[in-house]
Amino acid sequence: MWTYLIGFTGFLMTSMLQMSVFSQWKILSGSADIIILFIVAWCLQDRSKHLWLLVVLMAGLVGTLSALPAYIPLVVYLLIYRVSRLFQARLMQSPLLSMLVLTFAASLLQVLLNIAYLFVVRVDINFSDALVEVALPSVLLNMLLAIPVHAIIREVSIYAFPKGVEA
Amino acid sequence: MITKLFTLKNLRNLIIILVVVGVLALAVSGYLTPVFSFSVSPLISAQSWLSQRYLAFSDFFNSPRDMATLRAENAQLKNEAALLQSEIVALQENLAQSEILYTLLDFARTNPEHEYVAATVIGREITPFLQYIIIDKGSNDGLRHGMPVVTQQGLVGRIDALISDASRIQLITDANSTVNVKLQTAGVEGLVRGSVTGEITLDMVPVETEVQVGDILMTSGLGGTYPANIFVGQILTMQSKLNVLFQTGSIQPVVDFSNLSAVLVITNFDSVDISPLVP
Repeated sequence: MWTYLIGFTGFLMTSMLQMSVFSQWKILSGSADIIILFIVAWCLQDRSKHLWLLVVLMAGLVGTLSALPAYIPLVVYLLIYRVSRLFQARLMQSPLLSMLVLTFAASLLQVLLNIAYLFVVRVDINFSDALVEVALPSVLLNMLLAIPVHAIIREVSIYAFPKGVEA
Repeated sequence: MITKLFTLKNLRNLIIILVVVGVLALAVSGYLTPVFSFSVSPLISAQSWLSQRYLAFSDFFNSPRDMATLRAENAQLKNEAALLQSEIVALQENLAQSEILYTLLDFARTNPEHEYVAATVIGREITPFLQYIIIDKGSNDGLRHGMPVVTQQGLVGRIDALISDASRIQLITDANSTVNVKLQTAGVEGLVRGSVTGEITLDMVPVETEVQVGDILMTSGLGGTYPANIFVGQILTMQSKLNVLFQTGSIQPVVDFSNLSAVLVITNFDSVDISPLVP
């Protein structure tokens, strides 16, 4: 229960930071998404059995805050959760590598789903502009911020998951 | 009498007086300076030594107490300085906010045909593909879906979704946004579209129309989404391709969307949803 509370509080703080600060840090027209980074880092640290419930709650909240349909964050976050479980089992010796790989994959999936959604709702967008001006800079920013976010969540996890650290 | 006058005692006194007067005369005339210097310098040295030792002794007992007092005073002054500094920052922020609100108020006064609700921007869209902002006013403040949002400079967008105390505004730079406009000089109508990169372009301008760079775009009121005669932007460049019906152009918006901090919601305009009529 304690870990879920810390996770949810961290998610709320991350969401506020994202909407007020990180949405305005731009390279070309792309911006970082520290909510994804938080979820990736948290899923890699947390071994709770019902973590997926927290992930669904986070996706619901992001779907409410964002103008994107809620199923896009739901799909992305649940995939992050699932893959992070695989990484926990197979790549635990290199958590930073897991963080970077998962961040890259999740960011790419997120931007591709965003572009796909815009196509589906018949928004007239230039694919190369969307890729070069928005998608790639966003992925780059996420990769750059992945390391400090991972470090912070790792520190927080010492207090949130004391048994995990001892093990 | 004379014998009495020159007694031994009187003679001795006279000699003493003469010697004293002589010594004084020598001293006043400066002949005794080397003698004084030679005799006084050891006294001065001794006095200095004593004085220094006394000061050292006095410092030894008094300085620590003074240092502690000074440190306490210094810390207190630093605290006061930090408090004043934070007050200055807060006042500067208030001043900046007030200036923005005064400007918005001026705009509201110069455009009395509309009723406005001022709101502060409290957030931005999470994904970079969409251009939305979140404001701190919602349905409790009388806001409704579709209400236009402006600043003192021009058109910002419209309310896309709202809850009791907050609303989400779709900016005119959003890829899914279209605004019907008219060109002030050319006198024709067109369509301003947003994009995923946050730039806006002019479209649907007949190819035979001669459009000047710098021409001002204002809302036309067509479509029922926005009221007429609100500034949108200025034409930067126009492009016309062969065998096409319409020319396009890039627009410089009048509103600085990257620095939006306060907006006005026009509350007495009911937007019309014509989407069911679109084939």
